Amino acid sequence: MLELRKDIFADERDDNLKEIGKGTQRQDMLGHVTGTSTYFGDHKLQGMLHLKVVRSTQAHARLRRIDTTDAERSVGVRRIIRGADVPRNLNTLLSLINFGKDDEPSLAVDKVRYKGEPIVAIVADSEREAFEATAKVRIDYEPLPTLFDVEEALKPGAPVVNETYPKNAFIYHDVYDHQRLRFGDADAALATADHVLEQRYQMSPIEHAPTETNGAIAAPDTNGRYVVYTSTQALFFSVDTCAKILDVPSNTFHFIGGTVGGGFGGKVDTLTEPLAILGAMLTGRPVRYVFGREEEMQYGPPRGAERIYIKDGVMRDGRIVARKIRAYFDSGAYTRLSSYAAVKCAAHLPGPYTIPNVYGDVYCVFTNRTPATAMRGFGVTAMDFAIECQMDKLAHLVGMDPMEFRILNAYRDGDMKAHRREAKNTALIECVQVAAEKAKWPIREEFRRASSRKDGGGSRAVIPPTPADSRARPAAPAQQRTTYDRLPPTITREPPREPPPPASPPSPRPTAPSHGAARFSSVFGTRRR
Amino acid sequence: MAVTVKTFASSNEAAAALSSDRAARYLGGGTLVMRALNEGDVSISTVVRTNDQTLTRIDASGPRITLGAGVTFARVLAERDLAFLHAPARSIGGPAVRNMGTVGGNLFAPNPYGDFTVALLALDATVAVQGGFGARDIPIEEFLQSRERQAGTLVLSVSCARPASAEAFRYRKIARIKPKGGSVITLAAHLPISGGRIAGARIALGSMAPTQIRARAAERALEGRILDAATIAAAASAASEGTSPSDNALGSAWYRREIVGVHLRRLLSGQE
Repeated sequence: MLELRKDIFADERDDNLKEIGKGTQRQDMLGHVTGTSTYFGDHKLQGMLHLKVVRSTQAHARLRRIDTTDAERSVGVRRIIRGADVPRNLNTLLSLINFGKDDEPSLAVDKVRYKGEPIVAIVADSEREAFEATAKVRIDYEPLPTLFDVEEALKPGAPVVNETYPKNAFIYHDVYDHQRLRFGDADAALATADHVLEQRYQMSPIEHAPTETNGAIAAPDTNGRYVVYTSTQALFFSVDTCAKILDVPSNTFHFIGGTVGGGFGGKVDTLTEPLAILGAMLTGRPVRYVFGREEEMQYGPPRGAERIYIKDGVMRDGRIVARKIRAYFDSGAYTRLSSYAAVKCAAHLPGPYTIPNVYGDVYCVFTNRTPATAMRGFGVTAMDFAIECQMDKLAHLVGMDPMEFRILNAYRDGDMKAHRREAKNTALIECVQVAAEKAKWPIREEFRRASSRKDGGGSRAVIPPTPADSRARPAAPAQQRTTYDRLPPTITREPPREPPPPASPPSPRPTAPSHGAARFSSVFGTRRR
Repeated sequence: MAVTVKTFASSNEAAAALSSDRAARYLGGGTLVMRALNEGDVSISTVVRTNDQTLTRIDASGPRITLGAGVTFARVLAERDLAFLHAPARSIGGPAVRNMGTVGGNLFAPNPYGDFTVALLALDATVAVQGGFGARDIPIEEFLQSRERQAGTLVLSVSCARPASAEAFRYRKIARIKPKGGSVITLAAHLPISGGRIAGARIALGSMAPTQIRARAAERALEGRILDAATIAAAASAASEGTSPSDNALGSAWYRREIVGVHLRRLLSGQE
């Protein structure tokens, strides 16, 4: 039974809500358990054609020549689509919210940057005929040096994976090659700490493995419109992405989605819709493009791998006095959503603990791996895993119980977080206490009595003096604009942006933060509420 | 070109259809062939099937057992007289795959599959095939060595002698995902004991070469000996001799070579 701790969360929830704690039938459950839910793949349209793509066999190579002569003559082939046929053959998903540069083609043109990158699409009468034609496409590759390691990728002289980002790192606000967090003087605190523990954590990519693979069916409709049945988990996002790539107004499309056979973040990348619609535009027939299982597993985007270094300074009494973190997100060959993951990761540092000196550098790095994308808590999950492993090791190092160690270091209401925001509604202490109680894990009385609402703030609310990094801050050029900006470029919609968590804080610095006045959005920067 | 499905009443006709068409593939349970077709394998343009009842026959009453090529792993598991083959049968796929996958098809399953065949190799099985030139029996090792060239023949059945005791036959599959994972390595050992000593040792390995192979050096280390710690250590250290594993997503060739002796030692010393 769900227990709501009203003693802690009294002001947090409206008691008149009538859903929580009750068994409520999901609206789509009856269809799922009786096998009558309609998925995109259940639509069989008259005259429907099938699209398959030819994928790169190389992780990094220049495309010397693409020969489709035999494929064009193959039985049942209606149309061969190449990069030049895609109206805007360069896109990045978050350009819709003006974040990042267009860096990924729908079909590779000059070179391929990961094994499995689509190069040519073939539309044929049947799946089989499309497969037969794809086997007849001849591609002449000139292999290039490959990069599979995030730290190698950042070294000077490393091969360039994605020419849009020549230093193999995503560039934030047109200036910064990483997300940076500085709070206090971590190096000085590490020098005086009783113990210092530095550890390296390496994650692997994780496939979402949905039961239904990514796919879409696009069909010409009346008035020059197209109806699109899709597995997308982000319908409006996909509509706008297709409108951009195909260079038509978004009201050209009638997207029908709704039933997703497993998404978990793996169906936001809009990989199948643009080509299916383009196929329908070029042939005037309905076109179906669906990933095979192997395509889904091998070339569908995974959760990206992360490499994390944590260096902590801890005192004999168990207080963590400094935490220094370097994290590298392996974005694969293209950005997709990893740029955002790095932002979320930086925003999560140093975990739910009050640490007076925090130093964080988080990079979004390009390599010749399959592009990574969203997956449940991406940006935070792996970092949390690393931080909590580190917490256990630190507790062991100072000879403390790991639960008590967390309660000791947990943030409390009124504390200053490393982002210079006051911690509010914190409840880690209570969560640990409940977890200990449920697990019958003995903790000492003083830790049982600890509370998130006691002993916070005061000296814990002080923003420590933070030395500026020696490197001067480069000047920010004008923000990149796209046609998807809602306002014409001449209108300034907000005051000039401040860069993200500043390396050298602007002065004079307010002694106490003024809450509610302005909100820092990780993507847009500072914004009036 | 569309895929043609041809169904025949007898295995003779099916074998003839198979041997006359290079693009024909026999469909047993479909766990390999349908996957290939769905993933766009254009080398298959004809699917050959047969309803011949003889292919699904199990003869497990005597000292020599015979399994029709079309016998599924679910049926092996349902047969009490085939208890010695239950471990390998159970190690294959999930219930859905075991319900469809067949003994005959497993002979053609590429790495990291083909676990049942590892067991059959250790049991010195004989494979009965029907080719263009009639039916014949082939020792399983010879069959596997020429597997690439066997596509035009139809496997009718597999037979082997029943191990003298439950102790004499051991099987172990190393997988990362349990219970449905592909094989990192698969091991089977047949150790008949005669007068307290091993006579006719057979060690078979899966995922240690392009096909299932015998670990001959390990067999030599066991032959004529008492199964004691020294013998087991000698066999374990010889386990990787003559193997040629490859890298795949489940493990590297180096890793396989490193662990095969460890798992052989555990198998022979009865450790879990």
